Amino acid sequence: MSSRLRLVLACLATAALVVPLGWLWWSSLMPDEYSVMEMGYTDLGGGPVPAGAPGHGAGAHGGPHGGTPVDVATLVEDGTGKADVRLDLTAREESFTLASGREVSGYTLNGASPGPTLRATQGDLVEVRLTNENVPEGVTLHWHGIDVPNAMDGVAGVTQDAVLEGETFTYRFVAEQAGTYWYHSHQISHEQVRRGLLGAVVVQPAAPGTGSARPGTGISTGSSAAGQFADVEALVHMYDGQRTVNGQVGDVEVPADPGTTVRVRVINTDNGPMTIWVSGADYRVLAVDGTEVNAPGPVSDQALVVTAGGRADLAVVVPEDGARVELAGNAVVLGPTGVDVRAEPAPTTFVDLLTYGEPAAAGLDPTEADRRFDYVMGRRPGFHDGRPGLWWTINGHMWPDVPMYTVATGDVVTMRIQNDSGEVHPMHLHGHHALVLSRDGEPATGSPWWVDSLNVRDGESYEVAFLADNPGVWMDHCHNLPHAAEGLVAHLMYAGYTTSFKAGGHARNEPE
Amino acid sequence: MRTAYKVFAWLVALGVVVQAASVVWAVAGLGIWVDKDGGVLDKAAFESEETLFPEVAGFMIHGLSGMMIIPALALIFLIVSFFAKVPGGIAWAAYVLLAVVVQVALGIYGHEAAVWGLLHGINAMILFSLAVYAGLRVSSLERRPIAPAAEHEPV
Repeated sequence: MSSRLRLVLACLATAALVVPLGWLWWSSLMPDEYSVMEMGYTDLGGGPVPAGAPGHGAGAHGGPHGGTPVDVATLVEDGTGKADVRLDLTAREESFTLASGREVSGYTLNGASPGPTLRATQGDLVEVRLTNENVPEGVTLHWHGIDVPNAMDGVAGVTQDAVLEGETFTYRFVAEQAGTYWYHSHQISHEQVRRGLLGAVVVQPAAPGTGSARPGTGISTGSSAAGQFADVEALVHMYDGQRTVNGQVGDVEVPADPGTTVRVRVINTDNGPMTIWVSGADYRVLAVDGTEVNAPGPVSDQALVVTAGGRADLAVVVPEDGARVELAGNAVVLGPTGVDVRAEPAPTTFVDLLTYGEPAAAGLDPTEADRRFDYVMGRRPGFHDGRPGLWWTINGHMWPDVPMYTVATGDVVTMRIQNDSGEVHPMHLHGHHALVLSRDGEPATGSPWWVDSLNVRDGESYEVAFLADNPGVWMDHCHNLPHAAEGLVAHLMYAGYTTSFKAGGHARNEPE
Repeated sequence: MRTAYKVFAWLVALGVVVQAASVVWAVAGLGIWVDKDGGVLDKAAFESEETLFPEVAGFMIHGLSGMMIIPALALIFLIVSFFAKVPGGIAWAAYVLLAVVVQVALGIYGHEAAVWGLLHGINAMILFSLAVYAGLRVSSLERRPIAPAAEHEPV
């Protein structure tokens, strides 16, 4: 073979390897600024084309009743009345000291992380003024699990611009749902949440006999018809490799008289599911993701999985010699002051919320669903904004070519969430609560199980249903936040609505 | 170019050494952290991106090197082989790249079923041997006349 021919063949072979890779790389690059409205493709879930829905590709073409599309920035809380609960939060990037003495470099709200607990009573108009003192990348607050109006959802680049240094943004919403929630930044969320821009939200029911806050302790006490009770939140977060409960390390003591019932509101703010259990006592699962369980039975020798972003309220009747709520290395210790409770090892069986509690009317008829969506997660090699790797797929498509789940206001929607990706995913739908219908074909037979954060393990397939009653553009993503940053993000879009906010660009919005 | 061929063969082999060392270092560190410091490893800790124990860096090295650096080295090795005029060199570079692809796939599937992890360990030996042999045979060919072999060289 002549050396010239050989060289030509070598060059051709090189090109055959490099050109396809280069093309894949180049085509994956994202522009500096983009709108989620232009992302992916419209998925109507087999339903009719709603008014204002785009014909080809995603993006609003008209309003919900024809005319021009409605900008989600206008979807604010009705009324301008005086707020029942007001909270000013100032975000700072700084070093702070954990109770263990460890110095952590991260973010604080009003000088602390977790930030102050937002306490409200059901029906209260809540107003939170967020000021960014010195976080160069900007911040937002998302009200995880609270179905706020879309403009208050706090997603940078989708529902607002990031609040840059020196700026202020006011969130207003009615706390319509009693329960346990949390707030966190949704700007560069995979970093800002991990490094501390978060706090708890507790909404007490409007019924009489509810507790009042004891400032600073995270513990509220009160009385009910059943007698004295304590109500404590246990916000679990890992700082710099150190797991904490309400910022504390080790045993968090909650003084409680034997015989009283303590409600422990567990909030998992980390990126993976957490296994919790109780040493020394039985417990009941009173609420999941802010919704009360119907007729919760006693649980003994079983653990409960609280997924990333999820919450579970446990009721523990304090025994004579105390009890421990075990939270991944730390514990909330309930009992007389100074009580020493033996920690029991993690049970090997788990509470199954599919069958826990008693059935009740859920107020949603999924048999009459207007749209049926698939959210099938997979994984394949490729490029994500120019970076090679093994990336998540949704219905076989890699971000940003993902489905735009398009609905009309009032639709009953079912969604099959299937995980074929090799890893567990805590799936979080903004602005809505979904009712779990079945898992792997096995129908739910317990209490109506409403979620905003659903633990979908590898190989599992859930069917959920929700009512599309909160117009706007909503994220539907994995709450293992690095996964979201790796492209495990889709959106639920109401036809006729649009957002003028953009990711990237001069506003520097980076929702994931 | 022949030197470049040898260098990339040895770099792939060196990569396998780094992979074996880093992952065992990390697992040892994990064991010590759990055993002696009472560390709790669950999914949330696993996903925290925090330095739970110093040797966690071994997992990161293993992932970065295995998913990016070694595949890139193997790809460049194959491209170099097109130009290096090493008799049979393209075939051996292709075997190395194939073993890398299999190795990455086994590493990924090892997260679904541990048996693939078993094969991942075995295939590491195969990959290492292929890379070492590809490098060594250049040296041995250099000590012998190579003209006749060039006649049969696949392109």
